[in-house]
Amino acid sequence: MNGHCNVKVNDTVEEFHSNNSFSDLLIDSKKSVVHRKHETSRKKDEDQSRLPALEAAYTSILRELGEDTDRQGLLRTPQRAAKAMQFLTKGYHETIEDILNNAIFDEDHDEMVIVKNIDVFSLCEHHLVPFFGKVHIGYIPNKKVVGLSKLARIVEIFSRRLQVQERLTKQIAVGISEALQPKGVAVVIEASHMCMVMRGVQKMNSRTVTSTMLGIYLEDPKTREEFLTLSRSA
Amino acid sequence: MEYQHDVEINGEDKYQNICKHNGLCKKEKDSKDDTDSNKLSHIEKAYTTILSELGEDVDREGLRRTPLRAAKAMEFFTKGYKETIQDILNDAIFDEDHDEMVIVKDIDLFSLCEHHLVPFFGKAHIAYLPNKKVVGLSKLARIVEIYSRRLQVQERLTKQIASAISEALEPAGVAVVIEAAHMCMVMRGVQKINASTVTSVMLGTFQDNPITRKEFLDLTIRK
Repeated sequence: MNGHCNVKVNDTVEEFHSNNSFSDLLIDSKKSVVHRKHETSRKKDEDQSRLPALEAAYTSILRELGEDTDRQGLLRTPQRAAKAMQFLTKGYHETIEDILNNAIFDEDHDEMVIVKNIDVFSLCEHHLVPFFGKVHIGYIPNKKVVGLSKLARIVEIFSRRLQVQERLTKQIAVGISEALQPKGVAVVIEASHMCMVMRGVQKMNSRTVTSTMLGIYLEDPKTREEFLTLSRSA
Repeated sequence: MEYQHDVEINGEDKYQNICKHNGLCKKEKDSKDDTDSNKLSHIEKAYTTILSELGEDVDREGLRRTPLRAAKAMEFFTKGYKETIQDILNDAIFDEDHDEMVIVKDIDLFSLCEHHLVPFFGKAHIAYLPNKKVVGLSKLARIVEIYSRRLQVQERLTKQIASAISEALEPAGVAVVIEAAHMCMVMRGVQKINASTVTSVMLGTFQDNPITRKEFLDLTIRK
């Protein structure tokens, strides 16, 4: 990963000297969070071969917790839990290029497009416990619009991983930014973290809100406000 | 029947024994060799394996202590195995000349689905008709905690709560309703976000008398 980052830093420095544009620099420096080396290390066709090790690990966990792995309800639980975990982390073998599927269209539209209330489910990388909530995405096209469901699919790629909500928000924003080169991207996530609700401080009603504003959303407060107002309304 | 006779002697809830080892495995309880910290480190190793088999880099900063945190979290989510009704009731049963319905509703409940090891959560509503003995109200919530902090199936969880209250208080009737969302259905599989599962157990007067049952349901579920 260090080698990977160095390449990105060099690109960033060159871009800065050639464009001398502040917002471009910000977008480039955020690029490194999108393409982390470990995150495409799992190939989909390897999943089947990795199942036995996962199953053995889950059997061990059940036994150490004091359960009887031979009782009827738990007999196939290691297999189910292993498959469930693979599904919940399937984002590792998906890339934006795959899912965009060329659904980018030339359209003479440069007003805000918002897709809000996208349900998001992810796993906290610190406790391996789910967190979930809603994502609101806004972008201002620069003559290129994207199929609307593709925004939701981009959310799926990055959320079906071991995540931290801050990074997830940034990855979605930078992913859209790289694919479309729009005038601006805004992503807001509001989620409830089971690691805080089911254990630890046990605060049932707490919510965590994170946002990433790129391009014109970062520079122009009025644009940002319009997005926040439109995405909050019931 | 010998089986029932054993249950009465042990004072154990007979529904706990439907799935024989939903309590702690006896051989685990007896074993003095495995201390708690040993178990924790075994679970940690298992989680390290899981992380690397999922394709993650276990040495990156965010994941370095994750196996330990996940193991401790899992132990917390299954702490109900170590608790018994006798411990938590703490003699908080009082003689009171009251025989009208007592309801404690909207008790937040969190459990783990025993089939996928993924959380399910929701609310429990409990009612009982005292037979001259009332219980401290928080104890009803603590009984929910004992049984929910285990690997569970919602049907069994509901029954265990109802029969535990029934045995502890010997009331004229007990009703328990649980409404929960199962992440195994929401986050994966059929992925139905708004589906919720409702289970109920009615004992005593709540089972025999439809009017009593209706009163309970009107006061809890119908808004």
